Amino acid sequence: MIAQEVYDQYFNALLKGDRVRCTQMVQTLLDQGIDIQVLYRQLFEKSLYQIGEMWEQNLISVAREHLVTAITENLLNLVYPFLFSQRKLERKVIISCAANEHHQIGGKMVADIFEMNGWDSYFLGANTPTDQMISFIGEIKPDLVGLSLSIYFNVPSLQQGIEAITREYPELDIIVGGQAFRWGEISFLKKYSQVQYMKSIEDLENQLKKE
Amino acid sequence: MESLQTSTESIFEAFLDYSSGLFLVLDKSGRILKANAYAKQQLGKQIVNQMFDRIILDFYSTFELSAVERELEDSQPSDVVHALNVKHISGMPQTYLFRFCFTDKTIYAFGELNNDELESVRKEILGLNEELNNLTRELHKKNALLEQLNREKNQFLGMAAHDLRKPIGLAMTYSDFLIEEAGPILDEEQNGFLSTIHKSCVFMKRLVDDFLDVSAIEAGKFDLDLHPSSTFEVLEQSLRLNQLQAAKKDIRLKVQTPQDIPKVMMDASKIEQVITNLVSNAIEHTAPQTTVAIELSVKADHLVFSVEDEGPGIAPGELKRLFEPFEKTSTKKTGGEKSTGLGMVITRKIIEAHEGEIWVESVLGKGTIVFFTLPMTWRGHG
Repeated sequence: MIAQEVYDQYFNALLKGDRVRCTQMVQTLLDQGIDIQVLYRQLFEKSLYQIGEMWEQNLISVAREHLVTAITENLLNLVYPFLFSQRKLERKVIISCAANEHHQIGGKMVADIFEMNGWDSYFLGANTPTDQMISFIGEIKPDLVGLSLSIYFNVPSLQQGIEAITREYPELDIIVGGQAFRWGEISFLKKYSQVQYMKSIEDLENQLKKE
Repeated sequence: MESLQTSTESIFEAFLDYSSGLFLVLDKSGRILKANAYAKQQLGKQIVNQMFDRIILDFYSTFELSAVERELEDSQPSDVVHALNVKHISGMPQTYLFRFCFTDKTIYAFGELNNDELESVRKEILGLNEELNNLTRELHKKNALLEQLNREKNQFLGMAAHDLRKPIGLAMTYSDFLIEEAGPILDEEQNGFLSTIHKSCVFMKRLVDDFLDVSAIEAGKFDLDLHPSSTFEVLEQSLRLNQLQAAKKDIRLKVQTPQDIPKVMMDASKIEQVITNLVSNAIEHTAPQTTVAIELSVKADHLVFSVEDEGPGIAPGELKRLFEPFEKTSTKKTGGEKSTGLGMVITRKIIEAHEGEIWVESVLGKGTIVFFTLPMTWRGHG
């Protein structure tokens, strides 16, 4: 559990773009043995959602939002020495952002959550062309594909991606999630029987623990 | 009407003041008469009364307002744009796109940042940052996999070496026994076969022992049994093992130590292993009827131990490879002895575990000196 006071200090440093202070705070939490999943949910995810809301309300600029995202993405590197040394299951997942989707941090955090739960995750990054994703699926043969979407007007790209995957690999399970669906409509996903929507990192974790 | 005009002008001036562009009013000589608030904030309050050309960084040519005025005679002010590097208050120059307007008595200069360029740079940097972070993630993942494979390799190496140790030991003992007991009734060729079997067993046992040491070191199971120990006794015990080897090549072991050295915290058996290995290496690399010098001294709060041979020396390029596993230098051993390529790796690990240092100095054609230190004040870990 991250104390509100610690979160507030971190958030203020993040908002100011104080990368050094944020790094120190995350490193201290890691040295204190914080649960990585708690760090992801209560610090990284929470602060990014809060920043996203501030941007939506025009309280911060696009540039500031990008700076905050870039800092958070750098902070994830501090966690990786702990993350990848965990016990592995024989399960593989490919996480990708839809084509034209330039926000990758949410998808990357989802890939990390899979790693924490013993999966072997492959993260393809932002704006992955659909044909490249299809060919990578053929190469890796994953048990699951996750598609991340941050901006709702990229829904057509997401649908295109889902349809391409289901055409080539009709049996392959797909999960979708991301900031885009916080206020957006998700009913269009109902027509794809193998697609499941994940509302948050917590939902995903609960689902993974059930398996 | 007049008041409305005054009011419009003041509103306009207020907008100019807070716009994110440099708005400067100059006299005909180029002196800055007036600057908007943004310009003072970006370039410093002292810019008023400075000459315009003093606020820009001009590396190769001199910027002249008169040339701009001539340029404007045939063009519209919006078409004549000069990218000028301005001395920013932060010390980092910034490039502004300047447009000018000349009147009879005054010059108006308006500089703005090239937002399109800044935006494309920002996008590029963000993209590079993402790419770098994705690669870092991949690197950490691969690293974790390599560490896992290394652990498995060490586990296998340890198990294999452990299982090989006993049969090799038996073959070594029995071949030795046969040489002693059956030697006199066997012919020369048969004795030669037995001797080869025995020598091979000795080498294999050394290799297996080294493998076990390396596997323990890499698995982090390299525990030191620390006690305050007499360096003299450790040295004496090590040299006892080396004497026979030196005598076979008629090599003199010259030992120099100070009168009195207090006991030092160490794992005596491991330091003995280090000294035996270093002296053994020196004997193997030096020609018969020469000297190997062993010296022990005290420097500040460290014991300094050195072994010097009169061998052919090691080429400078090969020195750094000396402590790498399975690396062998081009220097040949004078008695045809075999090396496992692990002795110096283990030696370094033992010294580093004692928080000491080890290094080598060598001159081609003259010989090699290996030094190591042990801290005298060290009390060990935990």
